[in-house]
Amino acid sequence: MLERDATDILILGSGGAGLFAALHAHQTNPRLAITVASKGLLGKSGCTRMVQGGYNVALDPKDSVERHFMDTIEGGKWLPHQGLAWKLVETAIERVHELENEIGCFFDRNPDGTLHGKAFAGQTFDRTVHKGDLTGIEIINRLMEQVWARPIRRLEEHRAVGLVPRADGGGIAGVLMIDVRTGRFRYVAARAVLLATGGGPTMYRYHTPSGDKSMDGLAMALRAGLALRDMEMVQFHPTGLLAGPDTRMTGTVLEEGLRGAGGHLLNGHGHRFMEAYAERAERATRDIVSRAIYDQMRKGNTTPNGGVHISMGHLGPDNVRRQFKGMVERCADCGFDLAGGLVEVVPTAHYLMGGVVCEPDTTTTIPGLYVAGEDAGGVHGANRLGGNGVANSTVYGGVAGEEMARWVGAGNGGGAPDESLLTAEIDRALHPFRHGRGDVNALRDALLDVMWDDVGVIRTADGLRRGIGNLEGLHAELLETGVADVDRAFNLTWHDWLNLRSLIEVSEVIAHASLQRDDSRGAHFREDFPETRNLETSTFTVARAREGRVEMSDEPVEFTIVRPGESLIDTDEEAA
Amino acid sequence: MPTSNDATPTELDVRIWRGGEDGAYAHYRVPFRESQTVLDVVTFVQRHLDSTLSYRFACRVGMCGSCAMTVNGAPRWTCRTHVSKVAEDGVITIGPLRNLPVIKDLACDMTEFFEKWQRAKGRFSPTRSRREPFERISPETPKRKAVDAGIECINCGVCYSACEVVSLRRDYLGPAALNRAWTLVNDTRDAEHDARIAAVSGDAGCHNCHSHQSCVDHCPKQLSPTASIAGLKRASVGAAWRRLTGR
Repeated sequence: MLERDATDILILGSGGAGLFAALHAHQTNPRLAITVASKGLLGKSGCTRMVQGGYNVALDPKDSVERHFMDTIEGGKWLPHQGLAWKLVETAIERVHELENEIGCFFDRNPDGTLHGKAFAGQTFDRTVHKGDLTGIEIINRLMEQVWARPIRRLEEHRAVGLVPRADGGGIAGVLMIDVRTGRFRYVAARAVLLATGGGPTMYRYHTPSGDKSMDGLAMALRAGLALRDMEMVQFHPTGLLAGPDTRMTGTVLEEGLRGAGGHLLNGHGHRFMEAYAERAERATRDIVSRAIYDQMRKGNTTPNGGVHISMGHLGPDNVRRQFKGMVERCADCGFDLAGGLVEVVPTAHYLMGGVVCEPDTTTTIPGLYVAGEDAGGVHGANRLGGNGVANSTVYGGVAGEEMARWVGAGNGGGAPDESLLTAEIDRALHPFRHGRGDVNALRDALLDVMWDDVGVIRTADGLRRGIGNLEGLHAELLETGVADVDRAFNLTWHDWLNLRSLIEVSEVIAHASLQRDDSRGAHFREDFPETRNLETSTFTVARAREGRVEMSDEPVEFTIVRPGESLIDTDEEAA
Repeated sequence: MPTSNDATPTELDVRIWRGGEDGAYAHYRVPFRESQTVLDVVTFVQRHLDSTLSYRFACRVGMCGSCAMTVNGAPRWTCRTHVSKVAEDGVITIGPLRNLPVIKDLACDMTEFFEKWQRAKGRFSPTRSRREPFERISPETPKRKAVDAGIECINCGVCYSACEVVSLRRDYLGPAALNRAWTLVNDTRDAEHDARIAAVSGDAGCHNCHSHQSCVDHCPKQLSPTASIAGLKRASVGAAWRRLTGR
């Protein structure tokens, strides 16, 4: 029933963080056995691939890492872990050179042959390196090729279900997985493990991430006793496609540039409304536009499917077709005319800033367990700049690979697993087979509604308390809902059930963290506490699981590099 | 919830491949929706009619290339195929991709596809390190343009599934791997041009292509692997000529 094997380094996830970790671990110590496990096909199931915008990096002599750092801190509303943010902006320079010179990414150029940096929202310099509007595809395709070319073991369609500690309590021993194709369990012993499964807030009615994302990484981390920070910080993108309830198209993102180029948002009565909310109207930041659309929806000023319209036609359909070719084609494939007609849109959950508390060397409080990418918390604080997501996953994935290889190479890690916990994890994953078959999808729909209605774009204490109650109810109901145990091989319904369990557990944390933060900043908006509290005394939320309950606390932000009111950019430079 | 009236069909007649290589088609009735892709049809069956149906998908938007299947005889991304584009009198037949081993139902084993990508040396081989400056390359050079023409392939396997030559000889490297090789032949930063030409010139390589253009007809990104393969053939012949003549 349980197959066992072993590796030196086990990497969970094959997005930018996982693939970079594999390459850097191999480079650091080629003698080590390295394994990448991926829920889907290698490189195809992460969100790095879906990056449209690009990669923020201070390459231009007129730009600086200090400037990139200040944009990141101010964008994050002074919540980021400054050591993490600094390492991000500093290492991004080497990482982009590695991507272009060694991995083979072929970024877009200026006419003089240098790398092109495009303008991106919330930044004081045009520093976003890109490959057209499909930067993620270029990065992941090239990383995949390099991983395939090396003696790195691939465990494709292997879903991690439990982090297993050592019997002696000395750290991580390995990971329990389900081989999706056979439905059998596989325990992989490893001396070091990287958690790089990606976040992706797919528990909201409308969401942009890859549809297979389920927050397994964070759910496993919680169960292993790790602390999660900033979990209330869910970034909503204002323009997700709204195509009705029964299609996977709904929620997928329509790019930021549409508003930047002069696109109009029209409510159900055909009226522009953004000017009433923000001076910059449709060009306001993601959080402001998302809240404005949500407010229109609450007031009932909606389109047939309950959102608003985006209208581009006044810019000239041919221009729109030329400038936004990929978006126009995608909409056309789905039956919508973006260039000349109206397309229904809705705010959509896009990115989770929160994640596992970690150090700049990617270590966690469990020896041998590392974390990188969207599973890690603290880099972005209260808001992530567009273009800092892929920088985060590639920078810290690479760091993790090096750190793990050095740590394992020095003789650390190993040890027998806690067999009783391993058995308990298997038992836990088989839970749905012991109950009568129920409607997993109906529960999923209910979760999406609870999170959207009460833990979403605009939050209140009353709504959050109601949401927490409803989540507890759903959690209990899920545990009574079974899946038919007829064939476990490639059984998506079993995996839907497991997805739902992880999503509910992490949703509970998001709801508790949202209740804990009684001020508004960045992505988190409390209608009952609309002001941002004193930045000088900023705290971040920390969540832990204790005996099945979420326990919250606040910890002060340490301004180790720069304090609110200060800047690393001197005013002369600013003026110049 | 879209409602039906007399003018629109209310149900689709869907045939879906069940089982492995020796499986068979099963019939399902799926309610018609105004916004509905083939992936949505498959999802409906799994969620509401048969919970054991296996298929693969991830991104939902044509970026990951996980959800390619054979739809009414042709390989397609199912996430970006609206039902109205393919349904014939309300009938849709959905099977796994051709030319690849079936794992179960609609999911194929893509391993040979990616192994051939490597056999064609479909990976960059560096001439510079991360500590050196970027190579200056004008976006207007013919070589850079040739790279751009083929680079956006997402390795979905649609062309490989459409290719008649792959059906006839299973060791043929196939359009996607060769297209990638051609982008690297045009990449002035790459170190392994000669080895790559040698890798694609063998028995299973570019000279097998008869320019049927099925890959071009089916590529969801409108790329032209046929043109890339023609480029490789020229480069391959040129390399052979240089070897013979010592020039």
